[in-house]
Amino acid sequence: MISRHLFVALASLMLAPLTHAAERVLRVAVLNHSPPMSYTDETGALTGFNVEIMRALCDVMAVRCMPVPVSLDRVVDAVAEGEFDFAAVSLLATPERRARVLMSKPYYRSLSVWFARPGVVPGGALAGVVRGGVQARYIQANGWRSVALDTHAEVVTALAQGKVEAALLPMSTAVALQQDVRIHHLGLATTLLRDPQLAGDVCLSVNPRSPELLALLNDAIDRVKRDGRFDRINSRFIPFRLQ
Amino acid sequence: MIQDERLPAAPSAEAGGTVGRWPAGTVLAVLGGVFALIAVSLVALLAVDQRLVTEAATRLHDETVPWTLERQRLARNLEELRMGGQRVLTASDPPTRSDALFVVRILAAHPGMGEDPRTAELAAEVEGFLVKSAATEGAPDMKAWDVYSRRLRLLADDLSVEGGQRVSAELDRMSEAVEQTRYKLLLNVLLVGVFLASFLFILRRYLIQPLQRIHAVLVSLDGREPLPLLSSSSMAEIHAVEEAIMRFHATLRENEEVRLKLERLATTDGLTGLPNRRHFLGLASDEMARARRYGRPITVGIADLDHFKQVNDRFGHGVGDQVLQRFASVVLETLRETDRVGRFGGEEFAFIFPETLPDEALQLAGRLRQRLGESPVALPDGTLLAVTASFGLADATGQRLEESLAQADAALYEAKGGGRDRSVLATRAEAEASPQRV
Repeated sequence: MISRHLFVALASLMLAPLTHAAERVLRVAVLNHSPPMSYTDETGALTGFNVEIMRALCDVMAVRCMPVPVSLDRVVDAVAEGEFDFAAVSLLATPERRARVLMSKPYYRSLSVWFARPGVVPGGALAGVVRGGVQARYIQANGWRSVALDTHAEVVTALAQGKVEAALLPMSTAVALQQDVRIHHLGLATTLLRDPQLAGDVCLSVNPRSPELLALLNDAIDRVKRDGRFDRINSRFIPFRLQ
Repeated sequence: MIQDERLPAAPSAEAGGTVGRWPAGTVLAVLGGVFALIAVSLVALLAVDQRLVTEAATRLHDETVPWTLERQRLARNLEELRMGGQRVLTASDPPTRSDALFVVRILAAHPGMGEDPRTAELAAEVEGFLVKSAATEGAPDMKAWDVYSRRLRLLADDLSVEGGQRVSAELDRMSEAVEQTRYKLLLNVLLVGVFLASFLFILRRYLIQPLQRIHAVLVSLDGREPLPLLSSSSMAEIHAVEEAIMRFHATLRENEEVRLKLERLATTDGLTGLPNRRHFLGLASDEMARARRYGRPITVGIADLDHFKQVNDRFGHGVGDQVLQRFASVVLETLRETDRVGRFGGEEFAFIFPETLPDEALQLAGRLRQRLGESPVALPDGTLLAVTASFGLADATGQRLEESLAQADAALYEAKGGGRDRSVLATRAEAEASPQRV
């Protein structure tokens, strides 16, 4: 613990000139139109579980952060290229992603949900997916018919408008879709998919040239999970505890 | 005489016995090394304990507390599962039931729920019951649900308590480690105390006490007295000082013996062993001063061997020396302890009789002549040579020494003139006119 704390302290010292002396603000990639994880509320403010977690982490790290909305398919590329210091986007820690960006310690685990008419097995209908997500990659890899969209909100809209017959979404977003009144009349059935390619540890992605930021983020994740902020934010956006 | 005045023998340098000796630097180095070893060992011992405490704190911080929080989240999800189940069974419309069932299924399938076999099994049972109830027309089996609901609550309670129990167990282990550290710290303090006490004992026993003895010896060091026995210290440097003191004392003794010898040579007549003229005059002056200070009687006298020149001429100077020695020995044997005699020159001897009236001195001189007559000197041919002496005495009470000796000398002259082998007392009033003859 001492060595880890020492490393975190050193990392803070290394990061301090970037954030204080030069008044640099960390650029943080976030999704929009992806409730309940990341979206714009009625007042026009960016909010959601990941956005609030990002704010808590930045508060713990004592750094200023500027959330910048970005589409899911650009998150990994943008972080890998250094456009962002890190991304407050729930990413399954796949080997491909680990090869391009630094992945934080898992802050919860997830699975994927298949929405379709009752009796339609996964892959048995034209499915809407979000471009850049593991679900899109999974569908493509399995040769399922699909329509790639930019946001999770677009998937819901496409379902409601009948442009797609099914959807494959991550767990937390699926909760929001399930509760969306626009699709209640469809009477969709759900299938939970726990395939390793669709379920597992969810992490934040970090600029590969900022290992010191990764150390600070990992320490901050531990702290917000210990001091109750994680659970309070959880209660605001998700109807159960993320673990 | 020199042999008789020899100083007491000095003790041997090894009187304390032969022992192994250590240089003080080596001893200090060894002691320092031992102390350093003990200190390092104690520090290592404490470091081990500190590490145990640190590890316990780290485990509590990094493992137990997160694990406990995860248990509480799991308990919370069990409660959410129970509430979701309640909504499934009591929903007034299908969408609401569907939403609730969806959450139930998510919770039952959540990886966190599968970490504990109890939660995984119960969640699966609850999910199955609720799915079946949702698909069944008619009123659900609320009694069965009550059982599931109660099991969910109990299991949630168990999970919450388990978290607290694990934290409590970790804290107990940490307290135990701290307690162990406290005991070991106490032991360390005791060990340091024992070492310091031992160090002070060694310092006192082998350094301070020898130095104190050396100090006492140096303070009372006197070449005329035997050297006090030294301890023959185990410390090489102390022992070297002790040996140096012994050598110094031996040198003092030699110097003292030489001084005594020179003093004897300067004050004693080498032939007779009697004080020489200068020494005698010093002794006589002291006695005169004492008699004058206390108003006591004192008498002086001068003796001269009769026909001594003829003895030398006739029998040789060796016999003359024998005669002088015989006279000296008779005088020493006859005179009282308080009387003083000295060889005044040639065959002339001077006397001073403290606390003695002239008549008593006259008797004493008579006794001397008598003893002298009884002690002839044996010549080489076996014949005996009678020795006689003439004495001049004078009352010195209240007079100066020179004056009294002059009177005694005049009385001696009178004795010589009167035929020798006699004593003549010069009374103060008649010193010049009619000395008393005996």
